[in-house]
Amino acid sequence: MRIPFRVVFEQRGETPRRLSFLVPLASVFAALFFGALFLLATGYSPIGTYTNMFRDGFASFNGITDTLALSTVLICTGISAAFAFQMNLYNIGGEGQLYLGLIGGAWAGIALGDHLPTLIMVPVVLLCGALAGAAWIFVPAFVRSRLGTSEIVSTLLLTYIAASLIKHVIYTPGSFFRNPNTSFPQGRMVADSASLESFGSSRLYPTFFVALIIAGALYWVVKRTEFGYRINVISDSPRAAHYAGINARRTTVWVMLISGALSGLAGAMLIVGPYGKIEPSIITLGYGYAGIVVAALARNNLGLIIVSGILFSGLRVGGNNLQVTTDTPIHIGVMLQGAILLFALGGEAFRRYHIHVVRTHDASSKKAPA
Amino acid sequence: MNENIWILMSADAIAIATTLILAALGALFTERSGVLNLGIEGILLTSAISSFLAADASGSIWLGLVVGTVIGAVLASIHALLSVVFRANQIVAGLALVIFGTGLANFLGKPAEGKSITTVIKPLSFGPLSDIPVIGPIVFGQDIITYFAIALAIVASRYLFSTRPGLELRATGDDPATVDAQGLSVARIRIRYTMVGGALVGLGGSWLMLAQSAGWHQAATTNGLGWIALALVVFAGWRPMRIIFGAVLFGFTLQLPFTLQAEQITFIPSAFLEMLPYLATLIALIALSRPGSRNLLGAPRALGTPFVRDER
Repeated sequence: MRIPFRVVFEQRGETPRRLSFLVPLASVFAALFFGALFLLATGYSPIGTYTNMFRDGFASFNGITDTLALSTVLICTGISAAFAFQMNLYNIGGEGQLYLGLIGGAWAGIALGDHLPTLIMVPVVLLCGALAGAAWIFVPAFVRSRLGTSEIVSTLLLTYIAASLIKHVIYTPGSFFRNPNTSFPQGRMVADSASLESFGSSRLYPTFFVALIIAGALYWVVKRTEFGYRINVISDSPRAAHYAGINARRTTVWVMLISGALSGLAGAMLIVGPYGKIEPSIITLGYGYAGIVVAALARNNLGLIIVSGILFSGLRVGGNNLQVTTDTPIHIGVMLQGAILLFALGGEAFRRYHIHVVRTHDASSKKAPA
Repeated sequence: MNENIWILMSADAIAIATTLILAALGALFTERSGVLNLGIEGILLTSAISSFLAADASGSIWLGLVVGTVIGAVLASIHALLSVVFRANQIVAGLALVIFGTGLANFLGKPAEGKSITTVIKPLSFGPLSDIPVIGPIVFGQDIITYFAIALAIVASRYLFSTRPGLELRATGDDPATVDAQGLSVARIRIRYTMVGGALVGLGGSWLMLAQSAGWHQAATTNGLGWIALALVVFAGWRPMRIIFGAVLFGFTLQLPFTLQAEQITFIPSAFLEMLPYLATLIALIALSRPGSRNLLGAPRALGTPFVRDER
């Protein structure tokens, strides 16, 4: 069996600017097209589904504010993933670090009670959440830097352990985090001073701006500081970093701790914002995993993560409302997330390589005498 | 104390190890060719629900197993396309497959929620042999897929280390340039074994559904077994025979909570028992790593790196 053509990948010296923009956009449309085929095959109307998703995700007051509210969390988990990914450290346990952020934030919000004013209390809660997230990644970070243990598997295994922990603190009778006044197991509310007010009638909290500021600050750290420079050198060439006297071990640990802290912060933002307590349903929402998609779609660019985070949140919010407005299963949203990422990865090849098809000459036909 | 329940637990631990053996063997074949497929969990879930739907619609559990296995290979082919042909980042591609597979499985599983299948895969009957105390239920109380999985691990070991194609497979994972110089297609070998690996994972997922859970419980159906299987490959040093041993060991930690609960041993908090399999895997993973030990352990040297002939 001979295939009469060959696909040749030619590496581009420089990527044309328009491709950097067109490829991710085309990936999203390709994924939506794939999703449409799938919806058709399973007996749903693709146009109706997408119109509803767009309306409920972006083109209505509740839609856009809910989208921005969700993007608060996804931008944080997104930069958490991207910050580690850019140094080839694959912290995929952001999900578990986010759970710990909920626990850490709720602990501060309950234990410190009403003694402090909101202006101090909220930052303290956020800080405790971030610290809890960082603590959760400490072991993977330490063994990765010392022993080379794969952080991919270790951070992920810890996510399952964190999920058990969430269930444990809510379902155990008499638990510190459990509401003592109800027989139905649910989280104990944090002090009023640890809760922020949402804007008007929306479900959007001021933490959205905190997320934007942190994304901006980290962008500055990576581009302008010596620490950022070290990260760049290590990721580009570990050997060059070694000869330049850069302590890769220490940088590895710090980058992973910051990554964990950012996911923890996302959890604490839910405490000071919409939740006000530990919601055990968090373990079914996958906000931490979504952060990986957000980061990958933005190609780990901390500025672009704001865009991909909002885009993605819209997809989620629109997808979630489908269940209410139509009978389309909610999971189409998650499936589209995965599909967009798969198409984006495939599209990446078109950005990096000049791909063309070459006709191969059939050796047997060439033997004809001249 | 009831001795019987501990025997039953051993039998169940070996049973649950079946999915782990199949999934880990699938991951092992894939990784031996130099491709890292982190999408195992997504493949397990999608295969599980596909096999359920197929078995439910046709009334044949065997058709369910076949459909689940084929779906596993199809999903793995997406990963092969992205990582071998398009040279994408294999880690992110694998994660994308997990997210895509989870969404797809939950979408497909919507009509299956709350349903169960009446005929499940039953243990083989060995007549009087099954009545032997202790050995009977443990050795002769399993179903055909469990025996198949163990036999497959033994055959895989022979295949990898004593046959020509096995040698080519190992060489592709360790030193693709040499394989290429031999005139073999690195891409073709990698795609082939990624798909074979996916099929094995798919079989594992289908078996989990049709012999163990017999109903759809969304992501809790697999509950991280795919990730444990990936860690198991490291634990086994990329050697099939050691996978059997490791899978049974992890099978015990997975089964222990149920047994202790049945025995009403409650001094260990149930949350801790729930964490145990993941904790044990994590500790094993850390204990096995030493500085620069990746090659000592037997990891394929070109694992996760795309092979590009003209860019060297």
